[in-house]
Amino acid sequence: MKIVRDLLDRVEPLFREGGRFRLFRPIYAAGAAILLSPLDRTRAAPHVRDPLDVKRYMSLVIIALLPCMAASVYFFGLRVLAMVLVSYAAGGAVEVLFAIVRKDDVNEGFLVTGLLFPLVLPPSTPFWMVAVGVVFGVLVGKELFGGTGRNLFNPALVGRVFLALAYPRAMSSSWGIPGSGLFGHVTQFSVDAVSGATPLAAAKSGGLVPLWDLFFGSVSGSAGETSAAAVLLGGAFLLLVGVASWRTVAATLGAFAVMTFALHGGSPMMTLWHLLAGGILFGAFFMATDPVSSPLTKAGRWSYGIIIGVAAALIRNLTGYVEGVMFAILLGNVFAPILDEIFVTARVRRLREEG
Amino acid sequence: MRGGYNVPVAGAPLPEIRELPAPDRLYLPLASRRLDFGDVRVEEGQRVARGEVLAVDPEHFSIPLLAPYGGIVRLSEVEGHIVLDELDTTAGDRAAAGSTGAVAERLLALGAWQYLSDARTGDAADPAGRPSATIVSTLRLEPFLAGGEAQLDGALERLARGLEHVRGMAPEAPLYVVVPNADAPLAAELRKAVSACSGAHVVSVPMRFPFDDPALLARYLKLPAGPDTTVWAIPVEGVLAVEAALTDGRPCTERIVSFAGPAVTEPTHFRLVPGHPVADILAERLCREPARVINGGLLTGVVLSPEQRGVDSECTGLTVVGEPTRQTLLAFARPGISRRSYNRSFVGTLRTDMSMRYRAGLSGEVRPCIACGQCADVCPAGILPQVIHRHLYADRLEEAQRTRVDLCVGCGLCSFVCPSKIDLRTELLDAKRVLREEEEALRAEAEAEAARAAEAKAAEAEETQAGEVTV
Repeated sequence: MKIVRDLLDRVEPLFREGGRFRLFRPIYAAGAAILLSPLDRTRAAPHVRDPLDVKRYMSLVIIALLPCMAASVYFFGLRVLAMVLVSYAAGGAVEVLFAIVRKDDVNEGFLVTGLLFPLVLPPSTPFWMVAVGVVFGVLVGKELFGGTGRNLFNPALVGRVFLALAYPRAMSSSWGIPGSGLFGHVTQFSVDAVSGATPLAAAKSGGLVPLWDLFFGSVSGSAGETSAAAVLLGGAFLLLVGVASWRTVAATLGAFAVMTFALHGGSPMMTLWHLLAGGILFGAFFMATDPVSSPLTKAGRWSYGIIIGVAAALIRNLTGYVEGVMFAILLGNVFAPILDEIFVTARVRRLREEG
Repeated sequence: MRGGYNVPVAGAPLPEIRELPAPDRLYLPLASRRLDFGDVRVEEGQRVARGEVLAVDPEHFSIPLLAPYGGIVRLSEVEGHIVLDELDTTAGDRAAAGSTGAVAERLLALGAWQYLSDARTGDAADPAGRPSATIVSTLRLEPFLAGGEAQLDGALERLARGLEHVRGMAPEAPLYVVVPNADAPLAAELRKAVSACSGAHVVSVPMRFPFDDPALLARYLKLPAGPDTTVWAIPVEGVLAVEAALTDGRPCTERIVSFAGPAVTEPTHFRLVPGHPVADILAERLCREPARVINGGLLTGVVLSPEQRGVDSECTGLTVVGEPTRQTLLAFARPGISRRSYNRSFVGTLRTDMSMRYRAGLSGEVRPCIACGQCADVCPAGILPQVIHRHLYADRLEEAQRTRVDLCVGCGLCSFVCPSKIDLRTELLDAKRVLREEEEALRAEAEAEAARAAEAKAAEAEETQAGEVTV
């Protein structure tokens, strides 16, 4: 502790006004804030504050993503970790740049975006493409809206959609073959990219991957979302600690299940199959629950989840796309402000009636 | 009732009440939370008797500051205080002034009126006014103010008599007595005592902060609101003060004050009089660390000014909390075995009976709102602090008004739970104050306009009359 404090005190003058690296002060501030808890005092009542801060809030999401990370390394090799590093480096550069220009702090929210993004990409995505996608996502999806807390869309999904539209072939037709056995692909860097089909694409042409494979995750697909077991484990953690809104998750998965059940002639088996396939679980637990791009009210979150669930099922089953979770969540993001307007107004009316 | 939260903070006072050694001198502050005793009624060197008026607050119906003991007045010794020297602590010499006259006048003269407030605004109640209802709360839930249990200290009989007096003050207004819906024996006794009082409605409320707030209770009970109706709120010690004044004609000078908080070695309650030297209370009773003394509770109190030498006449508690002094390496990534949060993000959550040694720090960095919604979850008023924050951030005061910032009761829970460490309480209360001032200015303007119009009309009428005469 003392050593860290001394080290920080030693380098601090370099970042001060007049110091050699004064422009990069946000980097110092972010590093210091992450390493050592702040001593900032409360200025007014309430004199004490809850120990939860944004750093911990975000780090809990990262902890919840660890099972998915582990599963993706197991199935698709260490290359996934390299993708995460590329994503952090490129996206982090944009974040720091904007912090410098705004003379503001680097926000911790980026640590989540930077991790979520590579996990929704095919495991064989070229590194430069990871970089381009995350830069676009952070820049257009977040910074242009005014930075953390003001973005309309989930930045990771903005980057993902950009890549899907700009490089459709790389994003939809080249998937890795998942590893198996005790060590899976943990011992190798990358897996052979083949022009194969994901379970959802195969299902469109009539072939159904066994349920167990979907649950375990030994199927082709985006790096972090193939293993339903890992997503459920991390997702349960998020709900348990109260970071993700259980209403959003329940509404999304519930509406999706009901819609799929209806579209598949009332087959519970197919409903379960669709819940475990593709990115619906990952999207519901980790993407739709992003508080900033969700509605603010509880009723709004129920409606938002229903819109996402229904849209995801419709796109998946009735359009030319094999997967629709990404678009469905962005659609939900579009609806969030109007849902807020509706439910905030309703709340205000109820308050008036209460007197 | 909705929202609310009991902060699991260590340092709660024991219910027992201790006496302090009698002080040599009293330092009576001329200002307290609501009151400002600007009109001093005594002279330097004057000998006063117990219960004599030292000063009054001209802005608030001349609510008096009474001499808690007999003594010699020193006016210029300490800035902002009346010092009483050569104290005569023997009770008995009572003020003659309060024994006659109308009930409100007697209560004013005997120092009991200061406990009556307008439930919705928190302002002092108007002695000339008539309430549409009266709320008596036996709860005080903010950590660690002296609540009903300590204030009553077994005086249930006096409470019952006091309630009869309060009822008599506004016979046609319904009287609501708020009691805890706990299983504790005291709660049961309290319910029994209150039920015995004819015409009092018992209202059971969960022991969750801030369900004792008069404005919330008035809303919860659906009491009429409007510019011409007021609801009186009286805390339990106020009822006892009314009882003392009207039954015995005794002035109300003693107070039960909590002295507690994470940085106090033996949190307890003291029976003392206003003006008791703060230094005497603090001496030998604090942990050895930089600490902040708060006049009031942890969530809504104000930092005790170093200039304030004595306990003021509205004080219900002094709370002491340590300042943040130690930085922890990677604190945010630790399991947090000894930490609890409003959501469940620390391992300490599993230890439901654990209380935490909070410090007076933000415990995090100020960040933009991430819309987690915890403030709205915890808000007892049912408003959406995060929505109002967005409006205020964009300078849309009228939108903040539309989303009912006026309903904020200032409990501070939104600021407390905010992971982005946004000072929501200050923002909301500032906006509420500005809007209230605007409204008052508008009303004053409208009244002036109406008066001008009436004058003009009268003049016109006179003129026409005059004209008629000439014709």
